[in-house]
Amino acid sequence: MRGRSISAWAITALAVAFVAAAWVGATDGGLVNDLFLPTPADLWSAAVDLWQNGYKSASLPAHVGFSLMRVLAGFGTGAAAGTLLGLAMGMAPRIDALAAPFVEFLRPLPQPAYLVLLILWLGIGEMPKIVMLFLAALPVSAVAARDGVRSVSVERVHAARSLGASRLQVFAFVVLPSAAPEIITGARLAIGIVYATLIAAEIIAGSNGLGWMILDAGRFLRSDYVFVGIILIGLMGLALDGTLVLVERRLVHWAGR
Amino acid sequence: MSVSIPLPRTPPIAAPPGRKLPPVALGGLAVAAMFGAWWAVTASGRIPADLLPGPGAVLAAFLDIVRHGYRGTSLGENIAATLARCMAGFGLAVVLGVPLGLWMGLRQAPRAAANWVVQFMRPLPPLSYMILLILWLGTGNASKAALLFLTAFPIIASAAMAGVRQVKTSRMQAAQALGATDAQVLRFVVLPSAAPMIFTGLSIALAAAFSTVVSAELIASTDGLGWMVIAASRFLRTDIVILAILILGLIGVALAAALRAVDRRVVHWRGRD
Repeated sequence: MRGRSISAWAITALAVAFVAAAWVGATDGGLVNDLFLPTPADLWSAAVDLWQNGYKSASLPAHVGFSLMRVLAGFGTGAAAGTLLGLAMGMAPRIDALAAPFVEFLRPLPQPAYLVLLILWLGIGEMPKIVMLFLAALPVSAVAARDGVRSVSVERVHAARSLGASRLQVFAFVVLPSAAPEIITGARLAIGIVYATLIAAEIIAGSNGLGWMILDAGRFLRSDYVFVGIILIGLMGLALDGTLVLVERRLVHWAGR
Repeated sequence: MSVSIPLPRTPPIAAPPGRKLPPVALGGLAVAAMFGAWWAVTASGRIPADLLPGPGAVLAAFLDIVRHGYRGTSLGENIAATLARCMAGFGLAVVLGVPLGLWMGLRQAPRAAANWVVQFMRPLPPLSYMILLILWLGTGNASKAALLFLTAFPIIASAAMAGVRQVKTSRMQAAQALGATDAQVLRFVVLPSAAPMIFTGLSIALAAAFSTVVSAELIASTDGLGWMVIAASRFLRTDIVILAILILGLIGVALAAALRAVDRRVVHWRGRD
């Protein structure tokens, strides 16, 4: 990492100031209708209003909670199942051959497309969304775990075997630690995809949560609420990724060594 | 006859694939088994065809749509609409994102000025700002092109910037010491070293754009495969929904494979640095 000089910070600050000035100039100066772009003051009062009164059916923390619960349920189950499947695929070529077509098909498939089918099968409650997020996380985690196992150097495995380690010991003490960094990288990728998919799902078929909130506010041309929602969604995404970065540092502190 | 020496058994990782069946055949068998199970479950008549039509019904829907189209639009038109949107946004993001990312990697001033925007946009779920784009640009193709551009652009610009920044300074200095101009350093040192990372970024960006375009079509569109899914589901034409999902999956696989092939041809030096 190259250090940032004072001038770099000054340029960033200048750029931020320029964007802020353009925003104030365009909105307070009356260049754009505040239906489309709220003024800074409007944005602030909308944030305060949402915090105090909530949005329609629920309070703001409740909307955040709905979204968070869905992300964690879908990601937790999908990443766990995907990692197990990926480990099995990495260890056993036959399992890999059997599961690979499904994993490769599911991975690039736009998840909201099958949400429609899941709603048809499972009703309009939480289940279709969580199953969709499960299916979004599963192939990403499976591929990461499989590639992680495959990247384990054969010498290490041979060394452990020749020292008398059982298959289980090789798996627990050689394969798993070597694959862990890739598994966690896969988990970060998966939670990003799950989160983006969730927002799409709440917009397509939601009745609460942050995605639904911005859709509904957009229908009523409340762009101030939409902006607050986008900022909240951005912050929540950063928090989710930041949590996994912390886990990464604690859990696989040997990564890259 | 070989002499048997008590060696440890081959570890599972190095184990050869099944000798009787090559992996491809095994995979094909699994897919065939899935279709067989699908057929058996639907043919038994236990599941209403509205919920899960059989493979035959989906095939019939496919043939019908190929011949007569779906609600006034042909299948080809819908596939083309989705791909054209995807490629328009993605293409614009490549054209603008790669040069900007390279510039941000090479010089501090553009990096300081633009990186905060790029890093803020990158993790933001694209659908969250789609509502704003619809407010600003309407529900037509302009808002979708902007949406896909904004989906792909930060990913591509970040990848190009990161690719340039991991070029070894010693290499650039060596080239300069040998009398290379700035343009030559860029062409013969920076670009080849950054290319693998740029191409990784392109494949991630294309996958993201493809997923986003379908979501956008589900929400607000009058054509495209995403529109087909949502329109068919309203009339409980589950056969068409499944057909569209299968086509989307195959396109996704084809896009990924195409990018891998381009990657192998263009940056054949990947991993041999």
